[in-house]
Amino acid sequence: MANYATNQFKNGLKLMLDGNPCSIVNNEMVKPGKGQAFNRVKFKDLITGKILIKTFKSGESLEGADVMELDLQYLYNDGSAWHFMDPNSFEQYAIDGTYMSDAKNYLVEQDICTVTLWNDNPISVTPPNHVILEVLDTDPGLKGDTAGTGGKPATMSTGAVVQVPLFVDIGDKIKVDTRTNEYAGRA
Amino acid sequence: MRNVLIKRQRVIQKIRRFFEQQAVLEVQTPTLLNTPTSDVYIDSISLNINANIGMQSTQYLHTSPELEMKKLLVQGSGDIYQICQVFRDNEYGECNSNEFTLLEYYRLGFDVHQLMADMVNLLQILGIQDKVYQLSYAQVFSQYADIDILNTDFASLKVIALKLGLSTDFAWIEELQMLLFVHLIEPKLKNLPLCFIYDYPRSQSALAKTEHQVAHRFELYLNGIEVANGYDELQTKGEYQQVFMREIAKRKQLGKPILQIDTLFLSKFNKPLPQCAGVAIGVDRLLAQIS
Repeated sequence: MANYATNQFKNGLKLMLDGNPCSIVNNEMVKPGKGQAFNRVKFKDLITGKILIKTFKSGESLEGADVMELDLQYLYNDGSAWHFMDPNSFEQYAIDGTYMSDAKNYLVEQDICTVTLWNDNPISVTPPNHVILEVLDTDPGLKGDTAGTGGKPATMSTGAVVQVPLFVDIGDKIKVDTRTNEYAGRA
Repeated sequence: MRNVLIKRQRVIQKIRRFFEQQAVLEVQTPTLLNTPTSDVYIDSISLNINANIGMQSTQYLHTSPELEMKKLLVQGSGDIYQICQVFRDNEYGECNSNEFTLLEYYRLGFDVHQLMADMVNLLQILGIQDKVYQLSYAQVFSQYADIDILNTDFASLKVIALKLGLSTDFAWIEELQMLLFVHLIEPKLKNLPLCFIYDYPRSQSALAKTEHQVAHRFELYLNGIEVANGYDELQTKGEYQQVFMREIAKRKQLGKPILQIDTLFLSKFNKPLPQCAGVAIGVDRLLAQIS
């Protein structure tokens, strides 16, 4: 992969940092009135999801990371791996549980997810921002409560546990925001 | 659009009134200079002029009015200030630009602490009335990073940088001090609306007087953004000559264009600069902090 110097840094650029592929979240150019210019850069480690901050002398360079993002359709889970398919090429990808993290709580068959590949191997899965999930278990609903005051926990068919309004019943379909794990309305 | 211009005009008017009331004289010094700056980390923008009349010469846009104003001080101008556009090559970014407005002023008989107090008055007039923090360079490093910055040598600072996963490829200790300042300290200063950092390490003295381990310099940070840089100014021709030579040697080592000493500036030093403190304030950055 090519090297990128600090003056080519921009948000979203994928670089290798301490052996891990990272994405630039924020790049701040700092030039003291009397002194060397620096770039203070916020990265997201694409494997661990952790945020890192590093400061570079302007002009330093880092190796680019061979990272690709694909929109893949979720097919099924065979107990050990999650299987996805590229809807254009029909190529299939099996993703190991260690790279699924919280995404597995929101996977609905047929949904299109963003899968990140590093050197052609999947390293993370991002479900759609909103998914429709079925309530598998929750305390009985309360009639007449429509304002959603209070709330109660509900377990979804996918395993996610979401705080829902009191009127939600077992078997209901609800919309969930996967970024915040919050109830986003009735489906 | 017009609101922005009106705000700028009001701020500039208040600055002018502030100085007028204290009998600080407004001056205007040349923008086009024969000699580029010798500052290690600032690059002048050069211009080729008079080519069509057979008198081609290279001139340089000033990167700061400092030396031209010091010529006036040597000649007995007394307290002076200037608001002007300055030009610096190879600067870009959200808070940097090749051209910006600088307010530079010199007060005779002041030291950096008196100058900081004077600046607080100016900031208050401009509507920046936050609690004033004044912390020494050593204090912020000890408080925010647990590093005894004045007593940690180059090799030990490299170990610290390495542990943080930062580059250690630096020629001099001051660059590593600056790296650690930018990485560890500056982000913490974002929590302080108005903060002066003073007593810089001797290795970062630039044109400031030194005493033991420190240089009598300060910087003003507003919400973590560096806005001003002030000094107890060096006074003798010999001291300036020494600094210029040191800076030029460093530029050479960094592979930057090698420059000549500003002999014209030094030739004006028939007597020492009066004892004074001076500060350069980034007006655009200041304006961004005024609501």
